[in-house]
Amino acid sequence: MELTSHQFKSVSSAKLKDVKLQKALYKAKDGFVVPRAKVVADLDNFEEIRQAAADVRDHGLAHLDVYLEEWEKQAQAAGTIVHWAESYEELNALVVKIAQDNQVKKIIKSKSMVGEETGLNQYVEGHGIEVKETDLGEYIIQQAGEHPSHIIAPATHKSKDDVADLFAEKHQRPRLDDAEKLTHEAREILRPHFLDADMGITGANFMIAETGSTVIVTNEGNGRMTTTMPRVHVAISSIEKCIPTLDDFALMMRLLPRSATGQVISNYVSMTTGPKRAKDNDGPVEFHVIILDVGRTRVLGSDLREALRCIRCGACMNHCPVYQNVGGHAYGWVYPGPIGSVLTPAYNGIENAIDLPNAATLCNQCGVVCPVKIPLPDLMRKLREKQYERNLKSSAEKWSLRLWAYLALRPKLYSIVTRIMARVGKLLGGDSRRINHMLFGGKDWTRHRDLPAPRGRTFRDIYLNRNKTTNR
Amino acid sequence: MPARENILARIRAANKVANVTDVMDSSVADRLASPPISPLPKLDWDPEGQFKRRCHESASTLDEIAQIDELPLALTRYLSKNTLPTKLVCWPEFIDLPWSAEGIQIESRGAIGDDKVGLTGSYCAVAETGTLVLLSGQESHATTSLLPETHIAVIRRSRIVKTMEDAWQLIRGEVVSLPRQVSFISGPSRTADIEMTLVYGAHGPFRVHVIILDQ
Amino acid sequence: MRVGLFVTCVADLMRPSIGLAAVKLLERADCEVVFPENQTCCGQPAYNAGDRLTAQQLARKVISEFADVDYIVIPSGSCAGMIKTHYEELLSDLPEYRVKAQWLAARTYELTDFLVNVVDMDSFDTTFQGTIAYHDSCAGLRELNIKEQPRKLLSHLAHVDLKEMAGAEQCCGFGGTFSVKYGDISSRIVDLKCDDLEATEVDALVLGDLGCMLNIEGKLRRRGNHKTKVLHIAEVLTGLVGEETE
Repeated sequence: MELTSHQFKSVSSAKLKDVKLQKALYKAKDGFVVPRAKVVADLDNFEEIRQAAADVRDHGLAHLDVYLEEWEKQAQAAGTIVHWAESYEELNALVVKIAQDNQVKKIIKSKSMVGEETGLNQYVEGHGIEVKETDLGEYIIQQAGEHPSHIIAPATHKSKDDVADLFAEKHQRPRLDDAEKLTHEAREILRPHFLDADMGITGANFMIAETGSTVIVTNEGNGRMTTTMPRVHVAISSIEKCIPTLDDFALMMRLLPRSATGQVISNYVSMTTGPKRAKDNDGPVEFHVIILDVGRTRVLGSDLREALRCIRCGACMNHCPVYQNVGGHAYGWVYPGPIGSVLTPAYNGIENAIDLPNAATLCNQCGVVCPVKIPLPDLMRKLREKQYERNLKSSAEKWSLRLWAYLALRPKLYSIVTRIMARVGKLLGGDSRRINHMLFGGKDWTRHRDLPAPRGRTFRDIYLNRNKTTNR
Repeated sequence: MPARENILARIRAANKVANVTDVMDSSVADRLASPPISPLPKLDWDPEGQFKRRCHESASTLDEIAQIDELPLALTRYLSKNTLPTKLVCWPEFIDLPWSAEGIQIESRGAIGDDKVGLTGSYCAVAETGTLVLLSGQESHATTSLLPETHIAVIRRSRIVKTMEDAWQLIRGEVVSLPRQVSFISGPSRTADIEMTLVYGAHGPFRVHVIILDQ
Repeated sequence: MRVGLFVTCVADLMRPSIGLAAVKLLERADCEVVFPENQTCCGQPAYNAGDRLTAQQLARKVISEFADVDYIVIPSGSCAGMIKTHYEELLSDLPEYRVKAQWLAARTYELTDFLVNVVDMDSFDTTFQGTIAYHDSCAGLRELNIKEQPRKLLSHLAHVDLKEMAGAEQCCGFGGTFSVKYGDISSRIVDLKCDDLEATEVDALVLGDLGCMLNIEGKLRRRGNHKTKVLHIAEVLTGLVGEETE
């Protein structure tokens, strides 16, 4: 996917003014935050469980080479054909080659964020092969020619009316106006494709080393369809999705649906191990898994490695005050919200996503809901440090900080300057006791809000004088 | 295969640079050989009650029968109450029951696009989440629980286990190697992709009806 | 016991009444209050901007200034959070200071936490009365677990009625330099905070952090709300609100 994170400022400003988007975001926020809180409270030892999950992820990452080799061994024993890819082009080309080798004309696809990273659909279609997204949200944005704005609810930026207009146009049918009818129309349109597609592509929420399995977690059933109906199934995943055992998977499943959609469990958890067995009546004849490493190993060897624990639940974005107000597209790449603000620069280069780690209040609403305890604000701060080291900070910010630091390290001067500022500030505030127009850096404050005026004297001034008086 | 070797080499190099200490007591080999169970939540309910509660929450309907012979009658009850077709497709294990007496037309085969009602068994069920566990195989077609608009599943009471961990324990003990697909099914297919409005019947069944069998 | 007051740069410059109120509370609890004169800033702005070196210099300065107190008390969740939860990491490559940072962190308390959990204060001399809402600041809540402490203190005030507001734990959108670098996003977030506050219909919003205070009060006034007061909890607990401190 093309990276547009450098436009964060202008895009986010436009998104704030987009009334329809704001309505959709408002709905999505309550739709995610409230149910999550309810089902998390239902676990008496949520904190203990999420610590265990973080530990399992750390352990898996610390021995990732061994677990991947074990996964591969088990997968191959079950008849899975395993591929590895070091670049987006390599993964895309592998998918096309598998399709061509099997005379594939139509592909049905279940949602994959790795596929979004590699721009898979466009690439495959460029080779004359039809690709149908089947997750309802993905289907909607594919029809609209857009990108997902959320990792588990890709069309969350679209209103029901948007979808109604889109379907009426694309399906050439009378316009429908309710979510149920629209969903069922999509079901009706997509059903024949499930039945006659030659190949299915899915992502993989997890790869389980113990058994060589891949797992997808869905609510709609499109994942089961995609892994069962076509004669070829290709799962695309990335190295960090590998976890050790089935019991570790059970642990993750106690957290993923709760954190993602506020469900105790998602409707369909489908674990695939190899292709159709000789006597099976259904399932694909060939099962391929492509394991990607773009950026992952670089992050693994860096101080951002905790980000690789991510199980893609989306809770961080659902709870982020910035995401809640600007939506996912402003972030300009596959992963929005706090995890995106870490992964986007980590995978694409710090200099290509300068705004993202800075466009956060570091409120840690993300960190406390993360089911695998990724310290997201700390990671964003580390990225800011790297920007600073590489001189990628704006000169205005750098100089104002330097000036501040110069004063703060010189207490005598500091006390004189702040004494003057308190006095001048009080004068500027006047009778209203608020300043509504500042210059330089301050104008970005007063463009949006007043500044309560200083009271004329600093604390230090009052307190030290008071003590002098009493001591006399 | 240069990609494979390159990636594995990069992982080893990265882990060496990062120099992390493993938080786990058990080694990789031990973990794989005898997988430890992580902390569980309080499971202070009786499994059957919990299973029923969760089924209800995930919008499945429930029935109970004492013996397998009662299945045709139970199905008739359900199908007529919901005005559903009486033509079914089922797993082989159910084909020999007295269906014609109840006026049910049933075929033992995998489902195709036009089938409206599918009847399956279940390998086991997980009480904690109200989940049916189905293993794909020669005698347990995956399509039967997937393509029809209505999925009816029979679960033996004795096969309701507490947690997914327990289900794995059962599978490790009874199944030689994992089948092509292990499906955890918790209620009818659903989506909320349009304005967070919950709609049933996205791509899979609109209805899931669970019949608990005493044996 | 000797209690060092770290008043914070914002309270020092913008709202001295908070510092005076903190002193009054500590003295009422029979603490010997020490105010190291050379204190300036805890280094958080530099730390959050990625300027580690400057942040380290300021952290070392704070550490040396508070070397001889039993406790260091701070009327701000974010500055207390900085010292308590970040100094050790910040100074991790300077072994000598790392140990001192741990020492300091263990003695550092946010004001309400100190009043409840160290001196267990339960009576207050204040003239303040009215209905209030409490905003849980991010650093206080999520770094220091400040949630019940202010509510417990406020429950001792006979003429104060606390009404919980919706979204009390939601960030106000300040975020230090975020508030000016991404002014329009920050502004939207604080607008929502003001909406929640106004819907609660109280006389005052009370909080324990300075950044949130300037942001929320500034936004209320710009919206034309000149009625709802925005007060630090120390001001409420002492009645030292505004003018009379000068």
